[in-house]
Amino acid sequence: MSDISPNMWEKLPQDEAVAVKSAPSLTYWQDARRRLWANKPAVVSIGFIILLILGAIFGPFFSPYSYSDQNLKLANIPPAFDTYAVTDGEGNTTRFFLNASNFNLYEVDASGHVLGIMRGERKDMLKKQQPFEIAGQAITLDYAKLPARILSADGTELRTSGWSWNMTYLFGTDQLGRDVLVRQLFGARISLTVAFVATLVNFFIGIFYGGIAGYMGGKTDAIMMRIVEIISTVPLTLYVVLLMVVFDSGLLSIIIAIGSVFWVDMARIVRGQILSLKQQDYVAAARTMGASTPRILTRHLLPNAIGPIIITLTMLIPSAIFIESFMSFIGLGVTPPLASWGTLTSEAVETLRAYPHQLFFPAAAISLTMFAFNFLGDGLRDALDPRFRK
Amino acid sequence: MPTYILQRLGMMLLTLWAIVTLTFFLMHAVPGGPFVSEKMLAPEIQAALNAKYGLDQPIWAQYITYLKGILTLDLGPSFKYPGVSVNKMIADGLPVTMRTGLLAVIAVVALGVPLGIIAALNRNKWPDTTVMLIATIGVAIPSYVIATVMLYVFALRLGWVPTFGLDNWRGYILPVFALSGFWVSFVARLTRSSLLETFEQDYMTTARAKGLRPGQVLFKHGLRNSLVPVVTVLGPVVANLITGSFVIEQIFALPGIGRQFVLSITNRDYTAIMGITIFYAAALMVMILIVDLLYAVLDPRIKLSEASA
Repeated sequence: MSDISPNMWEKLPQDEAVAVKSAPSLTYWQDARRRLWANKPAVVSIGFIILLILGAIFGPFFSPYSYSDQNLKLANIPPAFDTYAVTDGEGNTTRFFLNASNFNLYEVDASGHVLGIMRGERKDMLKKQQPFEIAGQAITLDYAKLPARILSADGTELRTSGWSWNMTYLFGTDQLGRDVLVRQLFGARISLTVAFVATLVNFFIGIFYGGIAGYMGGKTDAIMMRIVEIISTVPLTLYVVLLMVVFDSGLLSIIIAIGSVFWVDMARIVRGQILSLKQQDYVAAARTMGASTPRILTRHLLPNAIGPIIITLTMLIPSAIFIESFMSFIGLGVTPPLASWGTLTSEAVETLRAYPHQLFFPAAAISLTMFAFNFLGDGLRDALDPRFRK
Repeated sequence: MPTYILQRLGMMLLTLWAIVTLTFFLMHAVPGGPFVSEKMLAPEIQAALNAKYGLDQPIWAQYITYLKGILTLDLGPSFKYPGVSVNKMIADGLPVTMRTGLLAVIAVVALGVPLGIIAALNRNKWPDTTVMLIATIGVAIPSYVIATVMLYVFALRLGWVPTFGLDNWRGYILPVFALSGFWVSFVARLTRSSLLETFEQDYMTTARAKGLRPGQVLFKHGLRNSLVPVVTVLGPVVANLITGSFVIEQIFALPGIGRQFVLSITNRDYTAIMGITIFYAAALMVMILIVDLLYAVLDPRIKLSEASA
């Protein structure tokens, strides 16, 4: 304190005054946006979610396959493979790869496009071998000892000539020869549609219910909240299961099922907010000026409670995605051949032993999406509601 | 205290009645009867079946019969397995579900709380970052994904644990881990933030100033006060372990109630679906009541009559 000298109290010249101007005053939303942008994981998550949405909407248009196109000859093809190259007398090279789990050889071109399954001669069941004639040479597939080997004409093991990505089916195919990438993208469509629509439904029901309970107060509030309490005694997932049993599986029913149950959290949040906000002077002022109840609710109370509402919404989206995939996983979700991340995972579990790569993509997709929405939710919470910050 | 418990029990009965009614009418709203299948039954057989299970009576009479059955703890016969009662289905699955569920709750407390303490004590250092990273992963990834990935890695690839069954203790590792993964992470995060908040309290400074050993400060003053929110989430933990068990028991082929429930759903065994739902609801409400009572014991500041408001 001793280093305050008298000259510090002198008036600044006009042009220097700008330098000590206070930080620009920001509105609530400017401040929130600035804080959100400073949160790296949240920003990355936003980018991922946007990419995912774009991919889900436009991705399937760029593929020659649809989610239900089957090609049983090209079933269970991996997304990457070791290729073998055999050259005949005229210098023509035939490339192929071995699917180690079903002992089939598939012909591929140099850049990794799958041309088709290779026809061999009759399998020798005793020796566990199958002869092939590839590029004029006798090649034998030997699966007596695992892993299976490719033997050339003189009985030596053929070496791979390198590996390549599957350029025809970027993510490989499933057990019915359907393109996994397209099914992934359709899965994203289903999951995101369910998540957004169900969240929207929850939003409206929750706001309506919570708003009325909070604003009316007294007996109405007590009864309405008792009902919410009774509903939420049982895990909400259980209701969704019951509703799905009644409705019959399908996209619409799962949206209705999730939408009609998960609003209770939203209702609680909205009620709490309204309850504290309705004591504010501006509400009393609005009421004295003769504003109707709906007007007070929609114009004064809800806009001021928007922060927590948005946070709850972002938190609802991942749980909706989770519930949908959970339902699909136990066989109550979308009907085949439609794909959702849950059905893709449960299909992959069936073939887990032989084709573990089929599990990778749906598991990664749902995990990354859940991450993204969780980070975004956390980021929004920190940005919109500074009280929660730790 | 006794009035509070009575009040709670009354509320529980009311809730249970609401759930019974809801599930009963939901299950009877399903289009088609329980005996409609690909095989067309002769009308006489259909009528005889309906008469046997009381389905020829008006729905109100059926409802009253069902309520009476519930009062005598009889959940009725299964529609799909002749001669098997829903009570027996639940009784058969209960030991497995109880054991895995209990182990999962123990895992949640025994892993989640210490991880949270470690993270809080080493705030912003590597143990904290590691724990929080694991916790973030655990909260975000769905349990069935964790279960299938672990099944592949530890059971199929490494062969450390069996892929299914509970013949020895190894069989429990994966199911319990997959079941409790989310809540271990959640409790770790909760313990950490709650403990960090407690550290800033004045009585912590006082305790340290008195010259108490760090261990005493942490366990006697810090932990006891910061565990209150952790105890509160134990109710929801139990609830979610139940729904989690549907999928986990399915993946690991454990003969528990959750698998029975999913099986009943695929079989459209309506009495079994109803019965198990009601059983779940009742079990849960008892559990939450216990947690609430525990809560009041742990934190004398909370008066039970206030907690009900």
